[in-house]
Amino acid sequence: MPDFTSMDVLGAWLSIFLTLCILSFLFEDNPIYKLGEHLFLGVSIGYSVVEIYYGVFKPNLIDKLFDREAWQAADGWNAADTERLFLVVPLILTLLLFTKFHRKYGWLARLPVAFVIAAYAGVKLTGEARAHLMTGIQQSMPNLKEAWAQNLAEGRETTLRVWGENGWTDRVVTGTCLDGDTWYQGFWCWSNDGAGVFSAVVLVTGLIACLLHFYFSAPHNRVMRGVSRFGILILMLSFGASFGYTVMGRISLAIGRAQEMLGLDKSAELVAARNPKLATLLCLGFIILFLGIWKKRGGGGDPDDGGGGSPKTKDDLPG
Amino acid sequence: MYRWFVRFQNMDRRWIFLGMAIAILLPMLSPSSASFSIDRPVRDIYEKVESLPPGSTVYISADFDPGSRPELEPFYRAVLHQLFGRDIKVVAGTLWASAPPLVLPILQEVAESHGKVYGTDWCFLGFKDGKELAIKAIGENIPKTFPTDFYQTPIEELPVAAGFKQLKDFNLLILVSAGFPGIKAYVLQVQGQYDLKMVGATTAVSGPDYIPYYKAGQLLGLSAGMPGSAQYEKLVFLDAGTCSGFEKTFLNSESCVRAGHTWVKRPPKVMPERLLGIEALSVLNLGHLFIVGLIILGNLAFFVTRPKGVE
Repeated sequence: MPDFTSMDVLGAWLSIFLTLCILSFLFEDNPIYKLGEHLFLGVSIGYSVVEIYYGVFKPNLIDKLFDREAWQAADGWNAADTERLFLVVPLILTLLLFTKFHRKYGWLARLPVAFVIAAYAGVKLTGEARAHLMTGIQQSMPNLKEAWAQNLAEGRETTLRVWGENGWTDRVVTGTCLDGDTWYQGFWCWSNDGAGVFSAVVLVTGLIACLLHFYFSAPHNRVMRGVSRFGILILMLSFGASFGYTVMGRISLAIGRAQEMLGLDKSAELVAARNPKLATLLCLGFIILFLGIWKKRGGGGDPDDGGGGSPKTKDDLPG
Repeated sequence: MYRWFVRFQNMDRRWIFLGMAIAILLPMLSPSSASFSIDRPVRDIYEKVESLPPGSTVYISADFDPGSRPELEPFYRAVLHQLFGRDIKVVAGTLWASAPPLVLPILQEVAESHGKVYGTDWCFLGFKDGKELAIKAIGENIPKTFPTDFYQTPIEELPVAAGFKQLKDFNLLILVSAGFPGIKAYVLQVQGQYDLKMVGATTAVSGPDYIPYYKAGQLLGLSAGMPGSAQYEKLVFLDAGTCSGFEKTFLNSESCVRAGHTWVKRPPKVMPERLLGIEALSVLNLGHLFIVGLIILGNLAFFVTRPKGVE
């Protein structure tokens, strides 16, 4: 059996307690939630500051700039010294950021901010142009013949005549659809997430409709309104899919915490050593007891505040 | 009925939280297995890894934190088991400050379970700050960006990493990414420039944003959220096998049988005690049913209680 220290067990129990502290917000904003929240923020910021100091500032700036041995080397002034000397520039730019706290010289902080924004824009520009703009334009013009051939039954070969650097050439495209022999082969393949000619056509028409929805230089007459409505439908489908994925992500997080609290995500040895179920029960009991006493002493506001609240009297009902 | 719907609309939202808690805890306490199929983008990751010859080296960028652990840890574990099981070498790094305490123990555990040696079969380069600039730097020059590994050993002294100057030198790049910096930054900064072969696993929230990258071929495979992780676990631990009489060894079981061949199961070299993704999937289903039920009831209540004449 692996060696578990008391700190391991304490850490596991603390993690369960803090999870329940944060979840107690679902009941109502309360001091025990605040404890968890403040602890989380403090630890996160402290960890980040230490990590960035030792991971970025110290090795890249301080160690190099204040390396006494390197400066005192008797081999004369060389390229490495020049490179080290240039580190004064980022040091000055970093220090200028702190002028923000001074009313008179606060404007100096704009210099490093402008430098960072300009550098970042430069780094992003080429990537965005290549990976998003060019590829996006390419993908918005699907080759219907190719979409058909790719979504035929797996292994079925189709020869396509394509235009390339060497003029017209023959290219063999192999089908990848695992649906078997269906009558709608090429149009729609379930195992390829609905890929095929149908999806390619929906992609192009949907894209045009969405673009026309945001085109205001022409009056939205009857035809434009129809196209625009189709564009809205496509946008709503897209937002709906994103929302569905987001809900799924949040439920997954809840499942993750529940797995840890019930000891379902660890090996039997670890569970035996840490006893997470007992920790969950004890922590839950403590938090419920605390909330009960806190409420009895008049803590918190209206229990229905922000929580909707059930109608209590007949007058609360609309109509 | 009208009064019931009015009460429902004004219900204390804490009942919903309680309902969701029950929907999650109930199937956990009495587990059941739900059958599910494998999506093409997930299978593509599996096939890409299976197509690598033993002795190849992959770079894994493990960019996730405890917040995204439930969704990505099952994939991360499964892909590591697959890689080490096929004798593929692993060089891992991260761009997230909070990742090392999470991703390194998993890497160590899986490597040890396959009897792999640090420095020879795998290594961990640690955390590198700089976000997109760090990705650009890794793409251009790995030894300059990571002069030492996580344990401060010079990278030249690690046989597994020595000789790899740029990201394009690796056979495959596997991104396990929960957000920024992650898959999007890799696609923007290095994929196009170096024509890298990349596959990625991400959270459900980010999934829809990365589908265009997969469709455009910038990602060769994509796993999104817990379902993606569960599917990958199924591929690696439960469905792995070979199709007898067919040269494509990584053809999946369904199409193999449909084509008239026999699917011979290949048990994994190391079977984990728990398959977290698969176990969580039935729980996820009930959670979704609960939400869908509430949406339907909410809409019904809205239309029933809506004053007449109001559109």
